[in-house]
Amino acid sequence: MTTMMTLPSDIRYVRLASLAALKIAEIFTECINTKMGNEDFCHAFELSVSEAFTNSVLHAEPSEQENTIILSFCSNSNNLTVTVSDSNPPFAIGAPSLDISSYPENGYGLFLIHQLMDNVSYARENGTNRVSMTKQYHMTEGNNL
Amino acid sequence: MIISEKLCNDVTVISIKGTIDAKTAPELKKFEFASALESPVVIDLSDVDFLDSSGLGALVGIARKKRDQGGNVTLACMNNKVRKVFEITQVYKLFDIYDDVEAATLNAGKK
Repeated sequence: MTTMMTLPSDIRYVRLASLAALKIAEIFTECINTKMGNEDFCHAFELSVSEAFTNSVLHAEPSEQENTIILSFCSNSNNLTVTVSDSNPPFAIGAPSLDISSYPENGYGLFLIHQLMDNVSYARENGTNRVSMTKQYHMTEGNNL
Repeated sequence: MIISEKLCNDVTVISIKGTIDAKTAPELKKFEFASALESPVVIDLSDVDFLDSSGLGALVGIARKKRDQGGNVTLACMNNKVRKVFEITQVYKLFDIYDDVEAATLNAGKK
């Protein structure tokens, strides 16, 4: 199953993006196991999409045309992948180095994504950034974080 | 997001309602606490349904400012999703955390 959503690259839409991710993750868990939802699994998508969408908005350059961000959700029997795409300049999304002990006020976003997701990848194709985040769903576990 | 503030037994209790993300976190950073400089601070998160790294950063900023003044910030009533963000980042170590506002206010007032 693939679900796509196009939103303006505008921080006012960040909650809409994260709520969409939450609801799609909930539908996914309902589809594969009607008796056991997984709050942590769904929250991982809600939070990771909030972080990736924010990151995308912050990297956007002023443009006369309306910039957009595309959320694409793709599921199979045991995992869900969300891809966040935009046409902004390229950026790095490797595993972040964060000095947690100093309690910085910024820089937790990528750290959270990498902690919450099983696989995070970045690709630059034809002028488009694609950040893909995949999480496995373990049907025998109530909490797979 | 709605922010309100009241004074309870010389403790400033700040209540936040709604979502704290990149859209709303700047409001929290800019919020001028009327009595926060002089009194201990408790932040009641019982009505916060979701918090991301932007919200976390705003709360860290408040805590650091308060620490610079020689005080602490106490958090109360996190839901599971909010608590998870604090646990993954280990930012919970920066705060005193209680499950209810009454206990948070009582203990914050003793410090």
